[in-house]
Amino acid sequence: MQPPVITLTECSKRFGERLALRKATLRVAGGETVVVLGPNGAGKSTLLRLVAGLLRPTAGSARIGDVEAISAPKDVRAGIAYAGHQPQLYRGLTASENLALHLRLHQTTADTQALLEQVGLGDRADERIDGFSRGMLQRLALARATAHQPVLLLLDEPASGLDADGRALLDDTLRAGIGQRTQLVASHDHELAARLGVREVRLDNGGIA
Amino acid sequence: MIGAALTIARVKLVLEIRRREVIFAMLLFIAATIVIVHFALSGDTGAGTRAAAGMLWAAVVFTAVLGLLRTFSAEHEGGVLDALLLAPIDRAAIWLGTALAQFGFLVVIEVVAVPVWWALFFQQDGPSIGTVVVALLLADIGIALVGTLSAALALGARTRDVLLPVLVLPLLIPVVLGGVTATYGAFGEEVGGLQPLGFLALYDLVFIALAWGTSDHLLGD
Amino acid sequence: MRTNRHLTTTIPLVLSIVLVPLTIGMAFWWTGEDIDQGLSQKIFYFHVPIALTSYAAFGYGAFCAAMYLWKRTEVWDLRSYVGIHSGTIFGTLVLITGPIWAKASWGVWWNWSDRQLNVFLILFLYYCAYFMLRFSLDEGERRRSASAVFALLGIGLIPMSLLAVRVAQTLIHPTVFTSSGAAMPGTFVLTFLVGMAAMLSLMVLLISVELRGKRAAARVLQLQRIARGEDA
Repeated sequence: MQPPVITLTECSKRFGERLALRKATLRVAGGETVVVLGPNGAGKSTLLRLVAGLLRPTAGSARIGDVEAISAPKDVRAGIAYAGHQPQLYRGLTASENLALHLRLHQTTADTQALLEQVGLGDRADERIDGFSRGMLQRLALARATAHQPVLLLLDEPASGLDADGRALLDDTLRAGIGQRTQLVASHDHELAARLGVREVRLDNGGIA
Repeated sequence: MIGAALTIARVKLVLEIRRREVIFAMLLFIAATIVIVHFALSGDTGAGTRAAAGMLWAAVVFTAVLGLLRTFSAEHEGGVLDALLLAPIDRAAIWLGTALAQFGFLVVIEVVAVPVWWALFFQQDGPSIGTVVVALLLADIGIALVGTLSAALALGARTRDVLLPVLVLPLLIPVVLGGVTATYGAFGEEVGGLQPLGFLALYDLVFIALAWGTSDHLLGD
Repeated sequence: MRTNRHLTTTIPLVLSIVLVPLTIGMAFWWTGEDIDQGLSQKIFYFHVPIALTSYAAFGYGAFCAAMYLWKRTEVWDLRSYVGIHSGTIFGTLVLITGPIWAKASWGVWWNWSDRQLNVFLILFLYYCAYFMLRFSLDEGERRRSASAVFALLGIGLIPMSLLAVRVAQTLIHPTVFTSSGAAMPGTFVLTFLVGMAAMLSLMVLLISVELRGKRAAARVLQLQRIARGEDA
């Protein structure tokens, strides 16, 4: 599957009386990587969730390729990966069980042990994740997000809680994805775009600056 | 679709087997409810078969509501719902899997509770147990379905724990009416032309259809 | 558009002003007294039309809920809400007039073997839950679709409740209308139909007035947002 083009057109999202995203217009080319910068509450998470199709725009549109993200059919969803503030993992399952479940729901197979080793969790595969630290959960979330070979990767502050090794691993993952898949990363890290040599956009108070 | 639903149901059952919190709570609750309703309705053994039938059904419905309060909590805690919504599966598979797990819990509870109920209230001539079992199974399907639907609707509500019983109980009144009538029938009472068991099955079908039709709008934004 | 909106209020207003007093007049001075029930039977011309009207309002609410899920425009959500709201108002009237009739006919305020009354009790609880659901979710997409789905469950609950009480009980409801309809003289039928029309126009009036209010409130909110420079 080709990495899709992401198009936000005058996209707004309102929660009650709070306007979280204000007429955002953004185009990300297929295979392009874009870093979304902005302070807390700027609307980064809302933007990513709109692109993932987890939120319905109040006005305007958010499209993946030529479909509205919110009504993306199964074959489009199969190519999306989204990792947000929460790890999206069952706390009562082990690391490898969580990955196996994810792969099964995506109707693919992969070596879960190898995936865990890639993120440095090879020796923790059979531990329940309710004992994991924030950084370990973040690593596992990264493994989960890339396990099904997505063509659209959406990461919301993936570096939070990661140690230096973890951040290097994250950079490598993103670097490997450039040109291979469309990547949208919300971050506080002002150097990230420069390190990866990619475009950055700034969000402030719900609008793209 | 069915495959994904079974996968989700299995995960929920595995989680429950590991932590056992919901099943144990439900077991204690159903026992306490039967005892409370029994004492509230006179307290002597001769309360009558009708009162005994009522006790069983009241206890089953309230216990089911207790279990429902934890329905989506495993998904809610870690944000797993996002992952399920993004997975290339039908949205209907999410509630169907959850309802299947809920159905499983109810059956486990009843396997323990019904014999106890029997022993407490009927020394000799009890009801025809086959009819009671069929009525309970049919009712469990409806309770699991409607309960899971309501729990999905209440996700994200400010007062979820208070809201859920208020949403579910009116929807379950017909189930109680059908179930109690079927149980009267099991005691050999004449229950009229419209068969209560058929009614329970019809209830299940109607709400399966409604849940199916609205499943895309149940979860998510 | 403007005249159109006026008409949806004016026509039911005029109809209500004419038909409601007409029903009262016909019920008390035109129709004869029922041999069995005497004066207390007069409440039939109000109680039954009110009950049927509230079913109509709930049906309208469910229809608009389905339209909302299809079209996703806010106005269908408002219509659905307003329909259910007026259905609940009429439902409350049913729960008030029903016991009055029951007291006159059977000497008790509540008769648990009256099927219609029991169904209304179930529906009343259910639609009160609708309002609880609606007001414990934050305004927005999620609230609108959750409300719509719950409103649609009523489509299943109404016939299931009717069936359930039928399965569970033998009826003692005073059957004024038998299935053949022959038990009633023509004056009774005509008065009943006028009462029905009166209540329906009252319902339409209620819905359109409340809808105008809701729309005005939504417009005010929108203007406030524009004034804040949010223009969305």
